[in-house]
Amino acid sequence: MRPGPGIRTALASLLLFVLLLAAWHLATLPPAAGQNADADYAALIGARKSGLPGPMEVAQTGWQQLKSAFRNGGMNDKGIAIHLAWSLGRVLLGFTIAMLVAIPLGFFVGSSPFVYRALNPYIQVLKPISPLAWMPLALYTIKDSSICSIFVIAICSVWPMLVNTAHGVGSVKREWLDVARTLEVRPLRQAFRVVLPAAAPTILTGMRISMGIAWLVIVAAEMLVGGTGIGYFVWNEWNNLSLANVIFALGVIGLVGMLLDLGFAGLGRLVAYQE
Amino acid sequence: MRPFVSVEELRQAYGPLVVFEGVGFTIDKGEFVCLIGHSGCGKSTILNVVAGLDRASAGRVIVDGLQVRGPSLDRGVVFQSHALLPWLSALKNVAFAVRSRWPQWSDERVASHAQKYLDLVHLTGSEQKKPSELSGGMKQRVGIARAFAIQPKMLLLDEPFGALDALTRGVIQDELLQICAATRQTVLMITHDVDEAILLADRILLMSNGPRAGIAEVVENVLPRGRTRQTIHRDPRYYQLRNHLLDFLVTRSKRYRNGAGNEAARISPIELPLEESAP
Amino acid sequence: MADSGSDDAIVERAVERVLLHEILPRGPARRELLRAIGSGTLFSALSAFFPLGAAKALAQEKSGALELKEIQIGFVPITCATPIIMADPMGFYAKQGLKVNVVKTAGWALIRDKVLNREYHASHMLSPMPLAISLGIGSRPQATHVAAIENINGQAITLHNKHKEKRDPRQWKGMKFAVPFDYSMHNLLLRYYLAEHGIDPDKDVEIRVVPPPEMVANLRAGNIDGYLGPEPFNQRAVYEEVGFIHLLSKELWDGHPCCALGVPASFIQENPNAFAALFRAIATATAHAHKAENRMEIARAIAPANYLNQPLPVVEQVLTGRFADGLGKIQNVPGRADFDPFPWHSMAVWILTQLKRWGYLKQEVDYRTVAEQVFLATDARRRMIELGLPAPKESYKRHEVMGKTFDPAKPEEYLKGFAIRRS
Repeated sequence: MRPGPGIRTALASLLLFVLLLAAWHLATLPPAAGQNADADYAALIGARKSGLPGPMEVAQTGWQQLKSAFRNGGMNDKGIAIHLAWSLGRVLLGFTIAMLVAIPLGFFVGSSPFVYRALNPYIQVLKPISPLAWMPLALYTIKDSSICSIFVIAICSVWPMLVNTAHGVGSVKREWLDVARTLEVRPLRQAFRVVLPAAAPTILTGMRISMGIAWLVIVAAEMLVGGTGIGYFVWNEWNNLSLANVIFALGVIGLVGMLLDLGFAGLGRLVAYQE
Repeated sequence: MRPFVSVEELRQAYGPLVVFEGVGFTIDKGEFVCLIGHSGCGKSTILNVVAGLDRASAGRVIVDGLQVRGPSLDRGVVFQSHALLPWLSALKNVAFAVRSRWPQWSDERVASHAQKYLDLVHLTGSEQKKPSELSGGMKQRVGIARAFAIQPKMLLLDEPFGALDALTRGVIQDELLQICAATRQTVLMITHDVDEAILLADRILLMSNGPRAGIAEVVENVLPRGRTRQTIHRDPRYYQLRNHLLDFLVTRSKRYRNGAGNEAARISPIELPLEESAP
Repeated sequence: MADSGSDDAIVERAVERVLLHEILPRGPARRELLRAIGSGTLFSALSAFFPLGAAKALAQEKSGALELKEIQIGFVPITCATPIIMADPMGFYAKQGLKVNVVKTAGWALIRDKVLNREYHASHMLSPMPLAISLGIGSRPQATHVAAIENINGQAITLHNKHKEKRDPRQWKGMKFAVPFDYSMHNLLLRYYLAEHGIDPDKDVEIRVVPPPEMVANLRAGNIDGYLGPEPFNQRAVYEEVGFIHLLSKELWDGHPCCALGVPASFIQENPNAFAALFRAIATATAHAHKAENRMEIARAIAPANYLNQPLPVVEQVLTGRFADGLGKIQNVPGRADFDPFPWHSMAVWILTQLKRWGYLKQEVDYRTVAEQVFLATDARRRMIELGLPAPKESYKRHEVMGKTFDPAKPEEYLKGFAIRRS
């Protein structure tokens, strides 16, 4: 029996993964060992000759990290699970703050073309500013580095939610609003019972994008500010030129980002409707 | 006795373009009035103005002694495209309206009231379905149930059956007739279907073509109440009426264009010779 | 001089010692007297006309109550911070009753910001940094002190393997070099070295600021030709077989300061006892690190992930001075890295002349005043004596930099004596 389409795409993905792994492995095989007649001298030089670690090394290093994921070896040496918890906590806080600003403001902007036109230039100018550009300004004014990272997450993830909420609210079908009018629905009830559910899929798409940005920003912010978090972990391992750990951490970052995205996709399905 | 609904001197203009003017008519309580005309004459606008969703450039509308200043629960609307909220089930859609009318009711009372009206339009068993799971006819029925459920003083229907196939249309027309008879609802309906008007309406308003359209003729439906689809065409007066209306649409509506002859035509209802005495 | 036993006993001995030094400043005379009559007799004699008891009690009381129990100290993971770092695992902080959190920090700019906004009470800094911060160069001004020098020597110039035949600096026109920070000894020494060979560091070569771990990666990628950087990143380049060690900084100026314990003035004023305890911890750690026989143990303590996070062989080679030089030879230079806490005022003056030379410092300054305000030589001397550590009597001395003598009494002449300079 021919396998179904879902199985086939899964197999294709898997095959691609295996091919990439094989290419990686081959590319990082050590070249022929250089002769170093002096054993004493050789003892003082590092073992690995090639620059990038191969998949086996990354897997082994990753396994070591996972085994001690909750370790607390001191102020500057914690397990990866602890770092992830810190990062996720910051993301959650920053994202929530952004959401509390973006959605009401987006409602306001989307409901009134006048307000939209007035505020739009500011939104367009602030939107493209990279988190790395906000960091120094934030650090200088806020003075507390942990609040600083949360601020940077908030200021960068507010825009997709704001724009999408405004767009969603502004595009609510006229006839649904007319229904509400003929039923003398009060503004607050209309906002929660008609506008919000109508705009919800668009708003949730905005939230999904914002979460992706927030996760991206936290890694960058932690690399700059340091202390705890997966970004700091990457920086710490980079300091040791331990590329195997860095690559492992990148894998973890990607995986968590994907899971966050899947979560929001699920939420999106909950509020979706067909017309 | 003053009429229940009184539309006076409505005029709609966008800059130099006058869509209609001098539009005026009355509706008595419990009366079913149809408004027929070609597209572009502004009949939907007139309906929206009566509903309170639009404002006319001039003129006023009075319903039950109060001037219309905006939309109200007193004037229920059935929209051309059902306008159901797609994230709510049929029952919840109707319940939303019921809740708007009687916010103090308990959940059970709201639900049972909504269910009653869904039963009236023969949608029992489909109340949990979302609009996307319903056929066009069923969606329109929900719209009708929703409008009736709030027990408005007057009902406004804007070509509600235009998107439906002939068979479904027929069935729903019957249902509408039944409900209106049972509730003695005052109705203003827009349609371009002559047969539908003859079946449903007590009085038919004929609009001339735009621009500067107006009510050209007011026709009493001489066919008595208790009309049904199956028997209506057996009445000999049916075809006279039908021809009269069709002739209007094909020929006379153009004559009255640009306000020509508006004044004269409006006043005289057509009387058809009676073959036998009406019951 | 036994200083084992309880803290009280230590303090008692310290008070006696200070008193003796004040009364009999000349060492030989003092030692003869002690030999002659023994310390017990001497001190009971002294106590007749000096209330030793009260003095001891006072000293004990003053050094007793710590204003802060927990202190945050930042560090950058390089071997220059060895005394600050090792004091944690090896118990030097605990011995003074301090709980110190040594916080690994991502860079010098961040260290400066966190000290300025008081997230750190004190920090590992490059020795020019307190001067720059106090003068308001590159940041808003805040009075910051060098309470102690962390390390002397211990840096190197590393070059890419492809330059093995190109070791004469005169051939280095057009090359790209990296330093960890503008206000660093690395930058100042590199510029000095280049200028002495006729290369203008601003016009003939490019000098970039690069964080130390990225120096090795940049070298491998060929983005830079070399760097004057902190350890262990010079040794690390050899370890990764990317570069070789061209010159130890010891060869440029034997005994040059590198990093310091930077302390904001506010911390010292608000927490004098905590600061005293901190100084004691670091000074004793520095003294411990100075001894060659302790280096292996120290390497083992500071190499792990919580501190330097570097391979142990690399750290060992840096601290013991027995190292592979990247050119196939094993070299033995025990003084490669050393540790001495005394913050000479003359060091500060040298740094100021060089900052002026290259245009970092634009305003006119009174070298001596600034040096004496920022580098706490007098304070350090007093505390080191209390601890029984050798401390120089003077705060200024002449330094030999690349064969040329620097006289701290004549900074302007020194500055004007350079052919290549910006001011």
